[in-house]
Amino acid sequence: MNLRLFHRRLAVLMGVAGLVAFAGGAGFEPLSALLATIALGTALFWHPDPERSARMERFWLPLAALLVARALWHVFVIEDDIVIPVVDLLLLLLTAEALRSLDAPNDLRLYTLSFALILASTAYRPGVLFLIAFVGYIGLATVALMVGHLRRQAERHEVREVPLGRSLLSTTGGLSCLILGVALVVFVTFPRVSQGWAGRGETMTTSIAGFSDQVSLGEHGSTILGNPQIVLRVEFPNGPPAGLGGLHWRGRSYDRFDGVRWTRSDNLPPSSAPTTWYRERWEGESIEQRIFGSALDTRVLFALHPALEIDSNNGIQPLFDNAGDFIYWGRGQPAYTAWAPTGPPPTEELRQPAGGYHPSDDHFLQLPRRFDPAITELADSLTVGIDNRYDRAVAIRDWLQTFTYTRELPTTARETTLSHFLFERRAGHCEYFSTAMVTMLRAIGIEARNVNGFLGGQWNDFGNYLVVTQNEAHSWVEIWFPGYGWVEFDPTPAGSGTAEIASSRWWPGRILFDGVQHRWNKWVLDYSMDDQLGIFSGLLGSRTLEDLEQPNTPTDATTQSPWAALVLLLVAAAGWYWVRATGPTVEPGTQMYMQLRSASSRAGVGVTPGLTPLALVERIRAESATTARDAERVVDLYLRSRYGHERLGEPELREMREALRTARRALRTRA
Amino acid sequence: MAFTLGTVAVGFAAMNTGNNLLYLLLGAMLGFIAVSGWLSEQAIRGLRVERRAPRAVTVGLDMRLTYEVTNEKRRLPSLAVELLEQGLPESAFLVHVPAGGHTTTKSVNSFVRRGIYPLGSVTLSTGFPFGLFRKERDIHMPGEITVWPRTDRAVREPAPRVGRIPSTGMSARGAAGSRGEYRSLRDYRVGDDSRDIHWKSSARLRGPVIREYERDGAETTWICLDLRGEPGEAAEVAVEVAASLASRAVSQHRPFALVVGDDVLEPADGMGQLERALDVLARADFSPDAPPPSPPVSPSNCILVGIDARPGFGDTLAVGRRARLVHKDADE
Repeated sequence: MNLRLFHRRLAVLMGVAGLVAFAGGAGFEPLSALLATIALGTALFWHPDPERSARMERFWLPLAALLVARALWHVFVIEDDIVIPVVDLLLLLLTAEALRSLDAPNDLRLYTLSFALILASTAYRPGVLFLIAFVGYIGLATVALMVGHLRRQAERHEVREVPLGRSLLSTTGGLSCLILGVALVVFVTFPRVSQGWAGRGETMTTSIAGFSDQVSLGEHGSTILGNPQIVLRVEFPNGPPAGLGGLHWRGRSYDRFDGVRWTRSDNLPPSSAPTTWYRERWEGESIEQRIFGSALDTRVLFALHPALEIDSNNGIQPLFDNAGDFIYWGRGQPAYTAWAPTGPPPTEELRQPAGGYHPSDDHFLQLPRRFDPAITELADSLTVGIDNRYDRAVAIRDWLQTFTYTRELPTTARETTLSHFLFERRAGHCEYFSTAMVTMLRAIGIEARNVNGFLGGQWNDFGNYLVVTQNEAHSWVEIWFPGYGWVEFDPTPAGSGTAEIASSRWWPGRILFDGVQHRWNKWVLDYSMDDQLGIFSGLLGSRTLEDLEQPNTPTDATTQSPWAALVLLLVAAAGWYWVRATGPTVEPGTQMYMQLRSASSRAGVGVTPGLTPLALVERIRAESATTARDAERVVDLYLRSRYGHERLGEPELREMREALRTARRALRTRA
Repeated sequence: MAFTLGTVAVGFAAMNTGNNLLYLLLGAMLGFIAVSGWLSEQAIRGLRVERRAPRAVTVGLDMRLTYEVTNEKRRLPSLAVELLEQGLPESAFLVHVPAGGHTTTKSVNSFVRRGIYPLGSVTLSTGFPFGLFRKERDIHMPGEITVWPRTDRAVREPAPRVGRIPSTGMSARGAAGSRGEYRSLRDYRVGDDSRDIHWKSSARLRGPVIREYERDGAETTWICLDLRGEPGEAAEVAVEVAASLASRAVSQHRPFALVVGDDVLEPADGMGQLERALDVLARADFSPDAPPPSPPVSPSNCILVGIDARPGFGDTLAVGRRARLVHKDADE
């Protein structure tokens, strides 16, 4: 095999891996990505002769200058992100190097440029594609560096044939596993002293409708139609709760309805219930949810209602607004932990007529100006004779659930009205149901609001977490119960279509891929000091993190000792290896003679390469007879040990050391 | 070095930003360093080296040191290993020694000065597998190389008996009667007696041409090297002149003897005698206080080679500046 050709191909493939890694993070401008791919593909099979390569040089330089100018224009004129123009420049340089003659000693430049692409991609939050490219890059780099080294050495020593067998290549490729292993150990154990890297993830945000400050009737429902984009991945550290399909992942609430659209009031007074109500009066232990959201164009934090607390350590700052919704400040993909009660207050308690604080009537009893009185009559008729708001709400919800769920949207303006939905069509999707229920409740004096979010999700057995896609976008209702806060009611009948997703041909593969992606996000991109402490506490046998913080807490000695012994063993092995590897290899007599030569040389005694030991003594004697006596003693002992095969004992070595010290001092004085 | 600095920079960036992918990159770079160090160590470990060196070599000529290398490791081959003799510039290179295998390589060096060169350590070094770092291991293999002086220096044919000291500084020529039968003409060399110039031929050939004479083939050439004088370039030339005389005697199948200070190499002929003479010359150390050569025969039968001309010898080949001055004075 032609070593140079093979080496060039490996280096070009490293460039391709860098290209893929960057595409996995930030993407490319399509044109530059296409051109670079074509050029690198060409470089794998075509290599110009030196003359043509030199001609092509004249072409690359102006192009590079043009791209430098473009980058400067981005920075100083339009004040845009500089990374993409710089990466385009990197791609051009990579292409130019890849398309050089094989004689060009440019392998280091190729390595550097491909590494720069990998480095640039770390500025983003790349997905699993980065991982694939990174593993490929390490494998290629291992082989390329080895082949490149052999190539340079063979050329330097004019060796024509280098035995580059398959076994050698595969062994070297196997070394990349070792390197990745070291990378993993360093990654896991290196102390995370800083937190909060959000990357430049905004370029990858997913557009999502239904969570802005205003939502038109039917707009939110449009996202339901065939959009399998994953928006949430939810883990339950304490085990998944029952009825996963019925979990409502609450996003935003809307208080004003004008007959066509829902809006959020700017001047909404605080209208959330005190957390103590939820903690003390709602049912069950709290459900812990570790939620990994996708980067969306709207900064809403989704969680089960009511969110008692939301906490994050990945660089976002959760904020709590007047409606009780959670939004966040920060960039990138939010990862956070939320806690919520397992269920609503007991039905009997909700049925009790309770006085107390009511949120603003202006907002939560508001109805459109041209509100159809038939709807009020309908609500009255459905709740006649019922004396508590819980049963009234249930009556309206149950009546609505006799309707048909359909994702077919109305075709004319008249068909989009609430009246048409309630009295003629009697079919629609979640937004119509929730809007109808809110307005009917408000019409009979019960404070209610419309809520958008997601319903249910698909359980991922591969990663043990819940996958929520945009298909599961949903609207439902929250009703105010004095003393208990906002309680969810969902009037939409069953049939939201998630079963269709699960039965899709691609879904199992997608779930598997998403499991990998989720692990990547969780264990790599968002890996933190807490995760490190968790791992180490597990290894050391501590049951909780608190155990680590309390040194006096007794831990399970039987669990700890094997690990401690292993660590000690490893340290001892490393020490033994180091001592063996760095032990003295030169005889002390020889060392001292060499020191005498060096000292003589520094003192200006002409020490030439071929100068014999006795000649050295003579030269020293010419300078100083006294110094020569000591030098002679050193040389005599050296010759005895070196050529006389005499093993110098400690007294001789001491004598030699003393003579050397005196001679060196005298020589230094002379110098 | 660049790789190490890059690793430090990536580590600094990772700690500063908290970007986990930079930690991953840092880990991979440290992995490269660790694997490189470990494999380099393995590549030079478990190699048994045997050196085959010539006993002696002439200044300026190639010296080939042959190394027989056995890889005593059971599984790991050794690749891209350099073998460098301490003090010698050129190394030998092993591209591949299979596990449990054996191979041979050689280095080619040359010396610019005669002398006794100790062969000490052979340094095995490698940058394998990535060329990021070099690992070295010294193997002690005591030995020595005798570097003989050159024997091809152009020297005029000396005369066994000396009449006067010529003015050229490079030679002292014997009386005319000492010459044998006329043999041939040859080009003039520095140090030739101007009385031997054949003027007619010189005029015809437009360059000085010298007459050469036959000598008695049974006559032993006594070469006396005078070690009195400062070590240096002139001393080395004197040694080379002596070596060239000895070489010429051997090529002419004549016996010769060598006197260096107190050492006397008894008359003999053949290549063995020449090697013995070159060994002696390789070890010769010049000194202003060195004893004068003391041949066991009459000095008038000897050719003195030295830095300065000394009277009393059959012929003198002096190479130093002072010799020229003395000759000039004598001429004047």
